[in-house]
Amino acid sequence: MFRLQGSKVLAVDMTGDAVKAKNGSMVAYDGQMAFKKLSGGGEGIRGMVTRRITGEQMTLMEVRGQGTCWFADRASEINLVDLRGDKLFVESSNLLATDAGLRTGTSFTGLRGASQGNGLFTTTVEGHGQAAIMSDGPAVALRVGTQYPLTVDPGAYIAHQGDLRQSFQSGVTFRTYLGEGGGEAFQIRFEGDGVVYVQPSERNSIAGDV
Amino acid sequence: MPFREINSKMIEATVAPGLRLFSQRGAMLAYRGEVSFTPNTQGGQGGVMSMIGRRVADEATPLMTVEGSGTVLFGHGGHHIQVIDLTGDTLYVEADRLLAFDGTLEQGTMFMGSQGGVMGMVRGQVTGQGLFTTTLKGHGSVAVMAHGGVIEVPISPQRPVHVDPQAYVAHHGDVRNKLSSALGLRDLVGRGSGEAFQLELSGSGAVYVQASEEKL
Repeated sequence: MFRLQGSKVLAVDMTGDAVKAKNGSMVAYDGQMAFKKLSGGGEGIRGMVTRRITGEQMTLMEVRGQGTCWFADRASEINLVDLRGDKLFVESSNLLATDAGLRTGTSFTGLRGASQGNGLFTTTVEGHGQAAIMSDGPAVALRVGTQYPLTVDPGAYIAHQGDLRQSFQSGVTFRTYLGEGGGEAFQIRFEGDGVVYVQPSERNSIAGDV
Repeated sequence: MPFREINSKMIEATVAPGLRLFSQRGAMLAYRGEVSFTPNTQGGQGGVMSMIGRRVADEATPLMTVEGSGTVLFGHGGHHIQVIDLTGDTLYVEADRLLAFDGTLEQGTMFMGSQGGVMGMVRGQVTGQGLFTTTLKGHGSVAVMAHGGVIEVPISPQRPVHVDPQAYVAHHGDVRNKLSSALGLRDLVGRGSGEAFQLELSGSGAVYVQASEEKL
């Protein structure tokens, strides 16, 4: 069971079950806990090879035991996401912990990934359970409906879930080439039905430079 | 209570004649009233021995005495501040995490080796805390800095608490601590989970843990 203690610390109460968490993110625990590194994100040989090739590196550990375990990472804000059979797309660097029952994988993002400064691949989390994602500053969950598409800055995007199509938008005009760009040359547009998580801070990305 | 939290990163302290306090040098942001700041060169209180202790231990974070009558604002480096109230027990904290504390508190230095023997010394090295730590004892308040927010985890005899040494901030009460290592074969072959060393705190009291693995 995941719960937040403050906005930056995740407390997980465990009774013999396990969670997957980012390597080294445990700050304290009581009771009995065992920590084991999951090679290649715990997806077996295929997942491991995929991760190596795609460069979507993620080192996870499995924490199993009885008691309460507290997780935190570099004072990032933590957001809880409930998954009911749907799929969460999240940057591997923004994923803090998931229920052990959730499957993690890798998916291709195309041009969007490159514009975020995060590479061409992203991590997916699938199944029934809870996941904790991190953001630089408190994140907002923005609802996307069929009538309400959403456009976000690639550097501020952290995750999305639901049945969403994404397309890449470029606002590059000839002013950009003259060095007079507004700093918002690229955007990602989400259409469909789902939720997009956005942080109040922008990663360094190509999109932010032009 | 002399400390009032303005926001998570700033505190306001009240000083009055006969009610002085100590703070880290340079941590004053603003003050109101007649307040004087004098550097303590002789290393706080506790006589010559503790002064030598602090010098040797490199726990000699420059402090200053704040006296007069008025209010003073403290903050440092944008770090989060946690105010801890002591009622007769002892707080163990790193000197560079101390922002300000009541003048009524008795300041001292503790040798890590005296708690946990050799492992205590190893612990100091592993955690980057050195061989000594600062103790504050008595009745009063202490303002401690941490990166990110701080959570308080209670320790009871039935429930010892394990803490990541990098996220440890301070602890108080009747607590024994030792370094426990979960080093296994996996760590030697580079498959460690990143949690090889933990501080095990047992007894009764509380430990303060920050939401980050960064030192100040």
